Amino acid sequence: MFGGDNRHLFRGETSKPVNTATTMARFWKYFRHYWYALLLVLALVIISTWAQVITPELSGQVVDCYLTPAAASAGFGNFAGESTQTNAQTNCWLAADAPANDINHTAIRSAFLSNGTPSPSPDLTPDERIAGLGRLTLFIVFFYIVGSVLTSITFYVMSWTGQQALREMRVDVFNKLHQLSLGFYTKNDAGDLMARITADAEAIQQAFGFALVSVFSGALLLVWIAYNMLARSIPFALLSMSVMPLMVIATLFFSTQARKAFRKSRAEMGSVNAELQETISAVREVQAFNRADENIENFRQVNAANRDANVRAVSFTSALAPALEALGYVALAIVVCVGGAALLSGGELFGTVVSLGLVVTFMGYVQRFNQPIQQISVLWTNLQNAVAGGERIFNLIDQKVEIVDKPDAKPMPQIAGAVAFSHVSAEYNVGEPVLKDVSFSATPGQTIAIVGPTGAGKTTIINLIPRFFDVTSGSVTIDGIDVRDVTQVSLRRQIGIVLQDTFLFSATVMENIRFGKPGATDEECIAAAKLALADQFIGRLADGYQTVLGERGAGLSQGQRQLLSIARAALADPRILILDEATSSVDTRTERMIQQAFDVLLEGRTSFVIAHRLSTIQNADMLLVLDKGQIVERGTHKELLAEHGFYYNLYMSQFQNLPATGNTPAAPTAPLRPALQ
Amino acid sequence: MQSSTHRPVGKPDGKGGPGGRPPSGDLKSIGRALKYLQKQSGKALLPYLFLVVATLAQLAVPKLVSNIIDAVTNGVIANTLLDAINNKIPAAFMDQALPKLLEVAKAPADFTKQQLLDKLNLDVTNAPSYLLTAGITIVVFAAVRGVFAFLQAYWAERNSQAVAYDIRNDLYAKIQQLSFSYHDQNQTGQLMIRATDDVEKVRLFIGQGFLQLIGTIILIAGTLIILFTTNAQLALVALPILPIALVLVMVLGTVVGPLSGRVQMRLSALNTILQENVAGIKVVKAFTREREEEAKFETATRNLVKQQLQVARVFAFLLPVIFMVANLGQAAATYFGGRQIINDTLTLGQWQEFSLYLIYLFLPVAQLGLIVTQIGQASASGQRIFEILDAESDVKDKPDATLLPPVNGRIEFDEVSFHYAGNATPVLQGVSFTAEPGQTIALLGATGSGKTSIINLIPRFYDPSVGRILIDGHDVRDVTLDSLRSQIGIVLQETTLFSGTLRDNIAFGRPDATMDEVIAAAKSAAAHDFIMSFPQGYDTPVSERGTTLSGGQKQRIAIARALLLDPRILILDDSTSSVDLATEGVIQRALTKLMKGRTSVVIAQRISTVLNADQILVLDKGQIVGRGKHADLLEDNPIYAEIYNSQLVGDADQAQPELQAASA
Repeated sequence: MFGGDNRHLFRGETSKPVNTATTMARFWKYFRHYWYALLLVLALVIISTWAQVITPELSGQVVDCYLTPAAASAGFGNFAGESTQTNAQTNCWLAADAPANDINHTAIRSAFLSNGTPSPSPDLTPDERIAGLGRLTLFIVFFYIVGSVLTSITFYVMSWTGQQALREMRVDVFNKLHQLSLGFYTKNDAGDLMARITADAEAIQQAFGFALVSVFSGALLLVWIAYNMLARSIPFALLSMSVMPLMVIATLFFSTQARKAFRKSRAEMGSVNAELQETISAVREVQAFNRADENIENFRQVNAANRDANVRAVSFTSALAPALEALGYVALAIVVCVGGAALLSGGELFGTVVSLGLVVTFMGYVQRFNQPIQQISVLWTNLQNAVAGGERIFNLIDQKVEIVDKPDAKPMPQIAGAVAFSHVSAEYNVGEPVLKDVSFSATPGQTIAIVGPTGAGKTTIINLIPRFFDVTSGSVTIDGIDVRDVTQVSLRRQIGIVLQDTFLFSATVMENIRFGKPGATDEECIAAAKLALADQFIGRLADGYQTVLGERGAGLSQGQRQLLSIARAALADPRILILDEATSSVDTRTERMIQQAFDVLLEGRTSFVIAHRLSTIQNADMLLVLDKGQIVERGTHKELLAEHGFYYNLYMSQFQNLPATGNTPAAPTAPLRPALQ
Repeated sequence: MQSSTHRPVGKPDGKGGPGGRPPSGDLKSIGRALKYLQKQSGKALLPYLFLVVATLAQLAVPKLVSNIIDAVTNGVIANTLLDAINNKIPAAFMDQALPKLLEVAKAPADFTKQQLLDKLNLDVTNAPSYLLTAGITIVVFAAVRGVFAFLQAYWAERNSQAVAYDIRNDLYAKIQQLSFSYHDQNQTGQLMIRATDDVEKVRLFIGQGFLQLIGTIILIAGTLIILFTTNAQLALVALPILPIALVLVMVLGTVVGPLSGRVQMRLSALNTILQENVAGIKVVKAFTREREEEAKFETATRNLVKQQLQVARVFAFLLPVIFMVANLGQAAATYFGGRQIINDTLTLGQWQEFSLYLIYLFLPVAQLGLIVTQIGQASASGQRIFEILDAESDVKDKPDATLLPPVNGRIEFDEVSFHYAGNATPVLQGVSFTAEPGQTIALLGATGSGKTSIINLIPRFYDPSVGRILIDGHDVRDVTLDSLRSQIGIVLQETTLFSGTLRDNIAFGRPDATMDEVIAAAKSAAAHDFIMSFPQGYDTPVSERGTTLSGGQKQRIAIARALLLDPRILILDDSTSSVDLATEGVIQRALTKLMKGRTSVVIAQRISTVLNADQILVLDKGQIVGRGKHADLLEDNPIYAEIYNSQLVGDADQAQPELQAASA
């Protein structure tokens, strides 16, 4: 929350562009399963595009066959037909320009139009014409209906496909989050990881839903128009399409720029999410320290960076469509000017005959080119955003998992409880060893207490047993089996852990306890709660075991939260129990009662305890005294005190500041050995 | 002790299923969101201005094209006529042919042959330059259109981003200021979705939908006027379609609103699961609950998809229907217009023109269907946003709140009772006590007896249900929260460190503190030495929640953080619980020194705290059951004696003989 650059890049993740094709290929992997749906969509799109093309033709026929006054001779029909298509698609030049009833005008025109063929029926009676008109209109309505129904189905099938593929992508990312080691989480912001599943996935959804359909149909239309153009006149077709290379260049240029900008904007969105996640989940600290104003200022900065990145991306994406449109008009101008010039100079272009009708037809085609190109360009920019989002998602999925089951990992057999560390060294950051050559062994049923100054490596030892981290050298074995040789699930299933930093979910009390053993009955959960002495306070909650807790157990005191997590661990019925300052916020009396309960429960099982309270550690079978990552002393409480060594000093310091109060029954003569420190 | 049965915000329950009330899709929220555009003042109008220019340029192009056709046609006709006059028509027939030729050439009927020839020659000579000029004009207009279309899109987006920025800032500020009890009842994950995805939905409407809406309404209105002035009869044929389409559009809008509200709720549920799994990853791994959590998440994704597909179904059904209705209008015009032509009451040209305008009428109507869904989404999302912005923080400054002057540190609880929102069971009952400036008050009691609640009331994290809390005689509810909390230093039970450096974290409450002050605070909290043992010292980055620091280290950072404030009132909640013995001694001494001259309220877990306290409050089930100095209580109060002997003395008691033995 204090800012800092590049903090939302993984190790090895750079702002360097990943090959778009690579990302697209990975998208395809998710869509591949739905090939049948995509095939259906494709078929539907072909049909509905055809319907889209045919209706203007039919409107043209209406004019040709029934509406053109009998006086209009051969040739005009085709001309009108072509231009009606133009009308339907874009803007009507015919209506504005040449009144079709100007018989002399059109008659003269038609005299020069050489390529007309379909012949209207000049001799029909008005009634026959109206009937024909009605029939054709019904045809048109039929095609509209077919088109609508097909569009409807296409839309739904495509939405369905996109949603399914995206859902699978989300699930994959989420599952990946579980595989990544704890070390990964110490280096990455939760909110940024979350943004990859929510906001980045959303960006993909925008590109891979129905928008994809308009690209299919747009591409089909382009092919259809290009085919028609080439069929009519190859030189003119090439002339009309002469701006296409420019369009391609413009698209590539703008989309490259846009992708760069989107990459930044997606990362900034990650920052916004990280800032939100961090400061909302810690809002109590924020308020306790009157920190809201600074936070708001910080958030404004992150938020502004996000806004600016978006505006920058948009400055490229919103330039693409107008640029393409303008190029389309240039194509129109070329067709008109070259075609016009050819007409004026005798009607020849590169050896082919050019008629006014041909020029008009091509003008229609060029204008019809615009729409699909616009559609595709809109999606193209969405696609850049999707690719930028996809990169972030795939980068996360590609993160190397540090702790993996070996290919030949076997399930851990029922643990007896012999835990041995053999020359174990460990480090979180390269070159900063946290444990150095630690060796010890615990026999089944022993309680091992780990003591030492803050930062000595106590928690690290504990993290190595359930294999949250791997050793850098040496080995950790349980019953003689290296923890790296068994599956993590079978290992951890048999180890119960209670952390000082409890984590409860916003669910009912019952569900929070059941977390320790999925499928446990209510009775089992309540029994575990009773064991952990949590039953009493749960009974006082508004809805008892069905009380819904706030996030992270909000509404409970820290001590109560610890009791719940102890109940959770008790329910798990572990073969090895690890208590990391598990009762630090529970009052001593309760703690002792819990311990007695645990003694019964854990009869014959091995446990590891980190605690600074004497009462918690003095009965341990063995104390490991840790300093700066090394075991400096070991033995029982009594042995160690007698040794007058590190533990003795550590232990004595507790009483240093006890004041001399005569009426304290058991207060030691104070100050006790102040020189010891 | 508090449960969350009362939920102010429609939100999903912990299981990830939808609960609460989905937003109704009320349009008021849209209006409120649009008000944010006012902040952009004149700039808000820019996209509309650019839109007008771009549209005019677009409309001019067809006219230009038809001019070119005219120029070409005239040129070709002139060519042909010249050819005819010069080569084909025998001179004898010329007089007969002349009127017809003049008519074709659109020349005045009284022209002579020579005048006609001159005109035709002129047409032929001028045609190429006409052509060129028109071609260039098209390109120029296209460029103008392009530039303004770009500017319009750019400014619309820019304004909408500015609005999203403002809304997000407001949301964030509000969330940061909402009281503890609000946050007790609302999960981070779903608040995040409101500040990100919901804001985005509103932004999309402001950036695109609203502009389209205005454009569409203008286009429909203008086209209607033109249709009625050109052919009222035909317009009446096409018109009944319009209300049908509009009704369908309205139906779509009202259906989509609440549906997309539900989508947002499901997304929130998904994000909540995500957030808890990321934040609680260690617990998930420790209990090997990956598979169950993955199943839970998968269900959430399925629920989300199901809801999204429900929207898609409505959309898939209604939208094509709207398009079809619009097309039917077109077909009706074709048929009835065609009849009029055949019956000679309408010309083909008029009909062509009419059907072109019909496209201008029905295409926008169909587009309204798209816009209306955006409105539905935006209003549902807007409601979710304004729900937060409108949330009444139960702890907030009174309108006439005064600044709390620098305090001496007298704290007085006057008959205070307290229960958490949504749970009638009182956590505190009739608690009264007074701490004189400089005194240390030790709170003692079993887990859940109300110790934390007492210290939560002093900085006004919650307000008491009954009674009042006075600091130097000022009711804490009468002064501003800022002035109150800035004079209170707090070390909470759970230590949260934020991403940033160690220095940033110590200076959390006073970002302007100098390096020397930070170091001094760290030294007092016995944190300096371990900080310096890191290669980067105070610049060591702390990852989120301080996972690379040990519990004791985190706690010392938290203590340093409180010390840096140099507060008159110090609140310590179990503050040294996870610090090892040696460190605890160091910290205890530092704290003892520090507490001198400050009023301290301490949740006592240690014997030294109790012995040093000026006043000990013994709590049981939310009530004070004993108070006084250690010696008095030990004599008069059996509960205290019991707690003291079992909780505090135990360790020292046991230690004593051993120590003596060991030091002998």
